[in-house]
Amino acid sequence: MTLLQLSGSAVPDIDLLKKRGDIPAIIRLLGHTDPKIQWKAAEVLGTIGEKATLLLIDALHSPKGTVRLGAVEALGVIKDVRAVGPLIRILNRDPLIELKWAAALALGETGSSDAIPPLVCSLRDDNRYTRYGSAKALGNLGWRPDTGPDQIYYLIALQEWEQVRACGPAATGPLMDIFRDHDPATRSAIVTLMGEIGDTHSHIACPTALRDQDPSVRWKAVLASMNCGVSSNKLPLMLAGRQRSGPNPAGAALLNFLFLGQGYNYLGKWWGTLVFMTYMSIIVLAQLEMGPFLPFLIAYPFTAVVGVHTYYLAQRMNDLT
Amino acid sequence: MFLDRFSRKKPDTDLLVRKKDIRGLISLLSSQNPEDQASAVHALGTIGPDATGPLVLALKKKNRNLRLGVIGALAEIRDPTAVSSLVATIHDTSSEVRWQAAIALGEMGDPAALPAVLGALRDADKYVRYGAAVSLVKLGHKPADEAEWAWYFAGMQEWKKLAEIGTSAVIPLENLLLDKDSEVRIRAVKTLGEIGDRRAGPALIRSLGDENRQVRWEAVLASQKCGVDPLYLPRGLSRRPRLKKNPLIAGLLNFLLPGLGYGYLGKWWGVMIFQVDITFTVWLYKFSGEGNTYSVLFPIYLLLGLHAWYITNQMPEDPP
Repeated sequence: MTLLQLSGSAVPDIDLLKKRGDIPAIIRLLGHTDPKIQWKAAEVLGTIGEKATLLLIDALHSPKGTVRLGAVEALGVIKDVRAVGPLIRILNRDPLIELKWAAALALGETGSSDAIPPLVCSLRDDNRYTRYGSAKALGNLGWRPDTGPDQIYYLIALQEWEQVRACGPAATGPLMDIFRDHDPATRSAIVTLMGEIGDTHSHIACPTALRDQDPSVRWKAVLASMNCGVSSNKLPLMLAGRQRSGPNPAGAALLNFLFLGQGYNYLGKWWGTLVFMTYMSIIVLAQLEMGPFLPFLIAYPFTAVVGVHTYYLAQRMNDLT
Repeated sequence: MFLDRFSRKKPDTDLLVRKKDIRGLISLLSSQNPEDQASAVHALGTIGPDATGPLVLALKKKNRNLRLGVIGALAEIRDPTAVSSLVATIHDTSSEVRWQAAIALGEMGDPAALPAVLGALRDADKYVRYGAAVSLVKLGHKPADEAEWAWYFAGMQEWKKLAEIGTSAVIPLENLLLDKDSEVRIRAVKTLGEIGDRRAGPALIRSLGDENRQVRWEAVLASQKCGVDPLYLPRGLSRRPRLKKNPLIAGLLNFLLPGLGYGYLGKWWGVMIFQVDITFTVWLYKFSGEGNTYSVLFPIYLLLGLHAWYITNQMPEDPP
């Protein structure tokens, strides 16, 4: 039986553990491999109430994400004000987005007004889940945004784009700020909205949006820029400065120059390896006949030409899409 | 069949029809050329019920192209004796064959096929579902209740109608959440949100773990309209597939085949390091013997392995 428990294949009786009051054992189950058991453990911990608070706060330091998540969930149900500080720490510092999101929601459940300033702060987070959770939590805490940037950040967090548009040019600043978001769909929505608002101040943001790594954001930026007082003459140059995510032309050329075929392989051509193996076989056979260096001397002028061709081939792959 | 690809001669289907060469026409059905295939389908249609027997036998063949042609030809002949064989093909492993079968059953116009066509509305593939919905109209079938209408509209992808139906549409929409096309999943999630039925909650929480970023986000918004406690949502999101590279694989590759670990991480110069290492090793081996080579290279390989492991660990995770 103990062996089975160690291997994690036995289904642990969580209700029995609760009856025994073995809270640490239930907290350990938050890290179980089976998601259903994790869920059940988190649920049971919530029902235990304030007795579990201190142990759960300790569990927030666990290196396992699922343990921290379960602890945050349980603390959200227990609503003990002692957890507010530790939950704020998770909201601000945890590396996992789902943890920040859960911490924001749990803070909303605690009903403590101490949670309001950090939640207002994370309305400016660069992740939409964290922002959304913070806005919902603030709503729970009875916080109402005053007029001003906070209100606009609040609306952006809830993705109420129509209402953001109604704010007019005042929304430009917060929208430019949230453009940091890693999610291309959010950035697209922001660019389109800024085009519709048509504030000439947003031409400052246009170069950033035009150089976005996501093709659809770039295209939306081209469409939006017309409304923001950017001369269309400047657009191609601005786009040319974007970070190119395609293959590295110099790398492909060098590979094909030194190891003919590997450059093509890098560019995604299935026959690249075939060319390389043939090339190497010929070189080795030639080396047996002519010694170690002469075959390379003959091959390099030829592979240099191929290298130049590869360079232009890779550059074309990096063109606008 | 293999020679087909090289000969440009157009097969004379009219001659085959005159000779009543059914086997010849059936073998033409597997042609790679869509025009030849279509003319063979049409020719078999003009031959009529005489061709039914051999065609039904040909349904058992492995060649997918052939089966597609056979079903098309049977639909043109409209011989009621073929319906039962066609009904069996609606469970084919190939979605193209299932689609063709769903359309063919509608063309046959035999009400005996109704249960099979209704079943195809629950197919995992959107083409099959759409074909089945169109066939139901052709068969003159009127859905009996709201639930049946909902399955029909789900096949037709009529999102507004599904939202109007409301609660009865929840189960067909949950079925669409399993579709391979992320656009379909997004629309299904949004429609579930518009309906706002609490019972959709568990399915929406599952969709938070979807492989597609936009499906996950729409599931957050929709679940809020369905009254799901937001506290449950982060756990749903944490179950999304993570596409992070495995540090152990990168490390092991770099240790055993120095450079290929970097290649696994998508660095173009990984394979270059690998080639340089091979050349270098061969030279070292030639000039300083086996023992020396390994004692020099082993620590370097170990360092390269550790480095690949370390940089993979440091790579930031793709934001949800």
